[in-house]
Amino acid sequence: MLICINDVYKIYGEGLENEVRALNGVSLEIDYGEYVSIIGTSGSGKSTLMNILGCLDVPTRGAYLLDDISVRELSDNDLSRIRSLKVGFIFQGYNLIPTLTAYENVELPMIYQGVPAGQRRAAILEALERVDMTGRMGHHPSELSGGQQQRVAIARAIATKAPIIMADEPTGALDSKTGAQIMDTLSELNKTGSTVILITHDLAISKRANRIVQLKDGKIVGDKVKEELAQ
Amino acid sequence: MNLMQSFRMALATIRINKVRSFLTMLGIIIGVTAVIALVSVMQGYNADLTQYYEKMGVNKITVSASVYQFYDSLTLTAELEDYVQSDLGTVAAGVTPTLSTSGTLAYGANTVDTSTVSLGSAQFSVCNNFVLQDGRDIAYMDVVNKNHVCVIGSYVAETLFGSADPVGETITFKSIPFLVVGVYYEKDGSTASSMDDMIVMPYTLNAEVLGSVAVSTYTVKAADATVMDTLYNDLDAFLKSKLDDDTGTYTLKNENSELNESDEEAASLSLVLGAVASIALLVGGIGIMNIMLVTVTERTREIGIRKAIGANRRAIITQFLIESGVLSALGGVIGIILGFIITVIVGKAMYDMILVPNTLMAVGSFVFSIGIGVGFGLYPAIKASGLQPVVALRAD
Repeated sequence: MLICINDVYKIYGEGLENEVRALNGVSLEIDYGEYVSIIGTSGSGKSTLMNILGCLDVPTRGAYLLDDISVRELSDNDLSRIRSLKVGFIFQGYNLIPTLTAYENVELPMIYQGVPAGQRRAAILEALERVDMTGRMGHHPSELSGGQQQRVAIARAIATKAPIIMADEPTGALDSKTGAQIMDTLSELNKTGSTVILITHDLAISKRANRIVQLKDGKIVGDKVKEELAQ
Repeated sequence: MNLMQSFRMALATIRINKVRSFLTMLGIIIGVTAVIALVSVMQGYNADLTQYYEKMGVNKITVSASVYQFYDSLTLTAELEDYVQSDLGTVAAGVTPTLSTSGTLAYGANTVDTSTVSLGSAQFSVCNNFVLQDGRDIAYMDVVNKNHVCVIGSYVAETLFGSADPVGETITFKSIPFLVVGVYYEKDGSTASSMDDMIVMPYTLNAEVLGSVAVSTYTVKAADATVMDTLYNDLDAFLKSKLDDDTGTYTLKNENSELNESDEEAASLSLVLGAVASIALLVGGIGIMNIMLVTVTERTREIGIRKAIGANRRAIITQFLIESGVLSALGGVIGIILGFIITVIVGKAMYDMILVPNTLMAVGSFVFSIGIGVGFGLYPAIKASGLQPVVALRAD
């Protein structure tokens, strides 16, 4: 199993009168090669869940095994290492570094991984090729359109060949046509072996996934595969 | 973490925020410029002083003796000359009474107001580092016979005679004629009031020229610097045997000690100036820390992204340290260049010499400014590395 969380809580201000239970006992398993969307309204806890699944944050209580590694006990630096090796992020706001070119943005995770300079170039070009951005790899983010920036961000997420692609509202800032192209790319990635976890509030977009996990008030209220949904 | 990329990033950030980067560097620039310029100019001052003393002649002891009337000062002079020449031959290079005045010299219609009319013995030139260019020096017999002869400095020669040969001509001082028997080489730029603006005549003419018979000051030149103490003690013993409470008093002064004193003064002045400049550098460092803290706050989101895609704490610290280091190193380089320019200009204007800051100091300032950048950048860098990616990503 790639991801296995069991009875996970994320509680802000625990013990206080106004404590917030962002996650209130969530258990979830995701296998290699799945395409899962996590859907919920704002405040449902879906972003918190993504942060925990992506090792950006640790749960207050509960177990999280990522590739059989227990994430809860890890230090700040170990979490960085895990993210670097296991997760590629795609954010709503692209989150490219403005001072770096597209090429350098894609290169950055590999630098942090410690990939020797000589081995990076081929992987960067391959990733940019997959999102059809090789022609603009010398451009800075400010010189690219939103869709192009998001494609660079996808290239950055896949360049390290991390098994998990975690996409947080990847089309949120894009028009519907560009958004559809990005969703096509994600489906493509899933078909070639990546595990894709898509976080969205949009039911239409979530239907691109093969499995839809519905979150409400910090709890999972629905977990269906596509075939079940069709019925 | 790839250092090359960190450097490129740092330079890109500096380029993007040109004005801010410049203002940040300003403290370091001013500090380094001040350190280099001040210390170099002090060194110039020192070199200038040393040069001056060397021209005047080093390794001298000045004897001041006031003699009561019943012990003739000329007798003491003769005794002292005799003692130095016959008994101190190995440690003393020469001895001369030192008397001087100033006034107008005339050659025909040409006149010159000369600053130094010296009266001395045949060893005047040895004691005062004058070298004969033409003719002959004052001779022992000139002194004994009170001959009206003189040797003139290069400035006086040029002013009175132009390109003509002064030797054999007669000039007047206070309407007294003097035969020019020699000319000294230029040793101090040959300008008015320089050491070349001089004339020397036998000291035995003192009654006629100065209206006084007392000789109270002597210059004794040591063979070299190592025998200064021996010479000093010998002179002291000799004068003690000659002068007691009834006959007169004397003092001795090692002229090298004046040079040493001014060396020490210059050194402590350098230290004070260096300290002041260091404070400027320190303030510059605080400026860098300030801006780096602002930068970290501004770039919270970027730090969040970097951490999200795998940067560990060390990578973030390294990045920000390189940034502040590059910033201050750049400031240091600009400071060194400015310091260099100021040093050259000031050296030329004040001391008329090509002053160049020493390499060690330039390298030292460069390393020091990097040290300041890294040192003061450490706190902001650590602060940046400690940001939680979740919090940092939420920032705008």
